[in-house]
Amino acid sequence: MSSSVAVVGFYEPWWIQIIKALVIFAAAFAILPILTVYERKLLGRFQNRYGPNRVGPFGLMQPLAEIVKFATKEPFRPTTSIGYMFRIAPMIAILTAVAALALVPFGDVQHIFGQRVGLYGIDVSIGPLYVFAFAGISFYGIMLGGWSSGSKYSFLGAMRGAAQLISYEVSQGLALVGVVITAGTLSLTGIVHAQRGMWYLIPQFAGFVIFLVASFAETNRAPFDLVEADAELVGGYFTEYGGTPFIAFMFAEYMNMIVVAGIATTMFLGGWLLPFGIHPPGWVDPFVVVAKMMIFITFFIWVRATLPRLRYDQLMSFGWKALLPLATLNLLVTAILVVS
Amino acid sequence: MSSVVFFVAAIGVLAGAIGVVVLANPFYSVLALVAHLISLAALFLLLRAEFVAAAQVVVYAGAVMVLYVFVVAYVGGQDQPVRSSGPGLRLIAALFGAALLCELWIAVIGSSLKSLTEHGAPYTPGFGSPSQIGQLLLTRFLEPFEVASFLLLVAAVGAVILARRRRGLGDEDEERLPGFPAISVAEVLSGRVPTGSMAEAAGLGYEVGESAAGTRRQARGGW
Repeated sequence: MSSSVAVVGFYEPWWIQIIKALVIFAAAFAILPILTVYERKLLGRFQNRYGPNRVGPFGLMQPLAEIVKFATKEPFRPTTSIGYMFRIAPMIAILTAVAALALVPFGDVQHIFGQRVGLYGIDVSIGPLYVFAFAGISFYGIMLGGWSSGSKYSFLGAMRGAAQLISYEVSQGLALVGVVITAGTLSLTGIVHAQRGMWYLIPQFAGFVIFLVASFAETNRAPFDLVEADAELVGGYFTEYGGTPFIAFMFAEYMNMIVVAGIATTMFLGGWLLPFGIHPPGWVDPFVVVAKMMIFITFFIWVRATLPRLRYDQLMSFGWKALLPLATLNLLVTAILVVS
Repeated sequence: MSSVVFFVAAIGVLAGAIGVVVLANPFYSVLALVAHLISLAALFLLLRAEFVAAAQVVVYAGAVMVLYVFVVAYVGGQDQPVRSSGPGLRLIAALFGAALLCELWIAVIGSSLKSLTEHGAPYTPGFGSPSQIGQLLLTRFLEPFEVASFLLLVAAVGAVILARRRRGLGDEDEERLPGFPAISVAEVLSGRVPTGSMAEAAGLGYEVGESAAGTRRQARGGW
């Protein structure tokens, strides 16, 4: 692979691409409800209680009951809201989250029924920029949702979301640039292959920490969940939402968490690679990736149960005055080390 | 397939551009501009300029327009539509529009309309990829690139200076509320975070910053 040619791998037949899209979509939406109950169970354990334990064995059927409950609710909206925008906003949120998921590689190229199939949605030459493009659009889901609700709480939540997303997107991107410089490619599968010797967790540790912290802000998770600070804003930008649009927003949030965990796994934890030169058969790869993603998701939940929410000015000054200079410094040092 | 995408994106581009000018509500106007930019990115994708498309969405739709939406939504103006501009402005607008059109036509005709054949312009592998664009920026277009980055630097410094002159950006009271101590990262990590409660402001707090003896008293119980 010469450096001037984009590493886009190859093109699969259209039917394989459709099957891949369906499989990833179905798997993601099967994982999402499990994640919600997983988070509630863990949070319960952190707080010395059981968490949901009524529906099904160990409360595992809880999300099913809740989805039925939400889906059978009467759809309504405030009279001050703007109807079509109010309905479009959750769709934008969930669409962009799902689209970003397509980038996460779950495994290497496999030979299935004589066809070469890459175990990822797409492998684009622009790599992480694709995720950032959809993260940029996903902002409009939050913004339109908050603005069109016609309520002060929603509006303030959306405004906070806007400022927060912009501030931390920069640090998040700069942290990834360090990895891209080290790997010498933007393609995510290429980055995983470049980590055969050593995962970038070690040489890019500063970038990893910066990316992780910025990801908390980007996914609106605690301790940066000012967007939906329930003590002050009731629910933030989805205060006025109920029923399935609310589920759309909630799933979009969990989906963003999955995407961030997937990107972090790919960029820093060596994707589907296992340490100590273990090479399992190809079908194990997705399980390795999902296991590594679960580490991040568990960490996200753990932090939510541990840290209190920051004040808004602390959030802003931390993002611009601490995280961004650190990310820039990390990038500069990496560039100098790679070039020299 | 590609022609379907092209027409959908082209309609989006034109409708967005017209919407920016025609819509009376500034918020909708900004949203129309966003739709325009995203459709434009789709057109770039059809031209296999993946990096330009991503940059278009990340920079314009994802950052610049976010600030536009932010300001328009904050300042409001939904109730009072934009005043119709005077005849002078209209004339200038028409002049600038005509100048831009001339420029575009010069660029299009300058390419001697090679791409208007049956097969379209030739495509070389790697065209529009980030690595190729990076190489071009650092070799052939180095000077324009440096000039543009210098321009951006000047703009950034100018914005800071303007903000400082108007509001006093460097003041301490901007980053902390009066009466509350500032908080550093080290304090967050060590757990010595001021609670910011009224009890603390009144001096009743059990855990205020660094206590005199340097010892930390843990708040008993949980939450």
